[in-house]
Amino acid sequence: MNILTNIAPVKIMLATLAAGIVLLPAMAGAQVLVPSGSFHSVMPEVKGEPVKVDSFYLDTTAVTNKKYNEFLQDHEDWQPQNIPSIFAHKGYLKSWKNANSDDIVNPDHPVTNVSWYAANTYCQSIGGRLPTLNEWEYSAQLMDFDSPSDAQEFASRLMSWYSTVDNENIGAVGSSGIENSHGIKDQFGLIMEWVEDFKPVIANDLSLDCGTVGRMQQLGNAYSYAASIRYITRMSFTPKSTNSTVGFRCAYDVEKITEKEASL
Amino acid sequence: MKPLTLTYTILIGLLLSGIANMSYAQTDEYKMDGMTFGMPEAEVFTEDYDGPPVVGDHLSMLPNLEPLDYEGNKTHDVRIDIIAQEIEVADGVKYEAWTFGGTVPGPVLHVKEGDRITFTMKNRSDEEVTITQPTKEGSPFMQQVAQNNFMKAKEATMPMPHSMDFHAGTVAKNDKWRTIAPGESIKFDWVANYPGSYIYHCGTPSVLMHTAMGQHGVVVVSPKDGYDTGYEIDKEYVVVQSEYYLKKGSGELFQYDYEAAQNRNPSHVVFNGHQTILHDQPLKANAGDRVRLHFSNNGPSGTSSFHVIGAIFDRVWLEGHPFNEMRGMQTVLLGASSSATIDLIVPEEGKYILIDHEFADAEKGATGTLKAGPRKK
Repeated sequence: MNILTNIAPVKIMLATLAAGIVLLPAMAGAQVLVPSGSFHSVMPEVKGEPVKVDSFYLDTTAVTNKKYNEFLQDHEDWQPQNIPSIFAHKGYLKSWKNANSDDIVNPDHPVTNVSWYAANTYCQSIGGRLPTLNEWEYSAQLMDFDSPSDAQEFASRLMSWYSTVDNENIGAVGSSGIENSHGIKDQFGLIMEWVEDFKPVIANDLSLDCGTVGRMQQLGNAYSYAASIRYITRMSFTPKSTNSTVGFRCAYDVEKITEKEASL
Repeated sequence: MKPLTLTYTILIGLLLSGIANMSYAQTDEYKMDGMTFGMPEAEVFTEDYDGPPVVGDHLSMLPNLEPLDYEGNKTHDVRIDIIAQEIEVADGVKYEAWTFGGTVPGPVLHVKEGDRITFTMKNRSDEEVTITQPTKEGSPFMQQVAQNNFMKAKEATMPMPHSMDFHAGTVAKNDKWRTIAPGESIKFDWVANYPGSYIYHCGTPSVLMHTAMGQHGVVVVSPKDGYDTGYEIDKEYVVVQSEYYLKKGSGELFQYDYEAAQNRNPSHVVFNGHQTILHDQPLKANAGDRVRLHFSNNGPSGTSSFHVIGAIFDRVWLEGHPFNEMRGMQTVLLGASSSATIDLIVPEEGKYILIDHEFADAEKGATGTLKAGPRKK
């Protein structure tokens, strides 16, 4: 049964979402192929026209503190004491007690307080890129529920999550218990994530208005309401923003991964 | 990283920044009917400010109204920062509120008709801010919270975009009421053109969620010539009704109940932000006093049938405007974001219960006490 918009079934563990924390092995670095398809965005769009998305690879989890620290070792320019102020606000990596130490606190937790510039550079440094907004949302919708009430329950919990994100106690990657039908974890329930075009071009027209939420109700369900909150939040960011609940994961063009495999 | 890629990244970044910094066509200042319109464009910037979140002379904690101690009009320099704060709204019911200044509702601002307000606000939702330490630079509000922390406020963080919408201001919302990201500040001017009591709230979508999470307060604009009554009042209080939509989370804290908010089924309906505060700390007066209540229904969605058991409202000015005078009202019906300024005569020593006469709301907490001592005059 396709409650959200489309596509293949996956069982969401609502009970584990409620519990908040399930210790799954951290799959940092693993990528999976998200096959091409289409989805209905919550953004105002041509009526009935789904957004087409080509296949791409996506990290199964967000980039961790450990991985980001490895990046910093090879990219001294992006260390907190060196980063030019045009690339990040002062809160850059502020959650790291000592950003110069090898002892990374919470190595398996998602890195946060990183600017869009930093996230972008990280992904490029490993041959990837940030996922586009459409890729991210499409992947996030690759879920299914047993019944409309399960979907409603999920969306309702998602809304509550926005009001209780505890940035002091964000869990390890993979700990949200939420994954899509291809094994991509934590697109909800852990942190918010940077995407390449985080501020849609139509943001100007929407201008974060009171009516925005209403116009984003095209899917007519609680999920679209929850997703609209995410779009609206993104629209207020600037590329220098560093927030304690915003991290990222990387995406990869199919050709690049294929080339890499061919060269092995 | 290859220089070419970096250049590309910077260009895209600048483009995305550019979208954030739209500029607005502005109208020059002008007068109409003796009122001032056409404010300068708002400034959005980043600053290192980490001082008291509420700064200014005429800002107080509910139910106080900081007296106006000046002749004529003046410009108020006011700061109300946005901070997250864990607060208690009923016995054992705590949640991480999104607030203006740290309490729900936020501080009461008192100005005079025709005053100009230079308002600064930093979105500190991603910063731990303490509101219970008295500070020299802070407002009377900060002192009052330090002395009487009835919401048991504790530092919390929850980075979200926010904005400020003063109903007392007459400006273009796409400029002054702009949404700012965590870490950003906004500064703009507005003139209190109309006398009365006006709510302020966060206007960022979802406006229902932002207001329900605690982002609302009141500005009292006293008429420049006062209310035409021929008498002095003895006591003046501000009472604010609002609803919470909360359910128990997985831990100790409560959290936002999206469905309840959509369905207008509040878990708590309260006066002055807390289910029992106006019983625990009753409003005080004496028999024979004339008491003035600035009553505001901040919603976000409910109506209020405000009544005081044992009293009749001697005079009522709807929205607090001196032209809107009514007499002898038992109940004032107020939709969300409506207010009334109410004068009543306290008949005799004893207790008078303030209540939303929509009893379903009263039984969710919308009650309070006015405690009257013996006649002294």
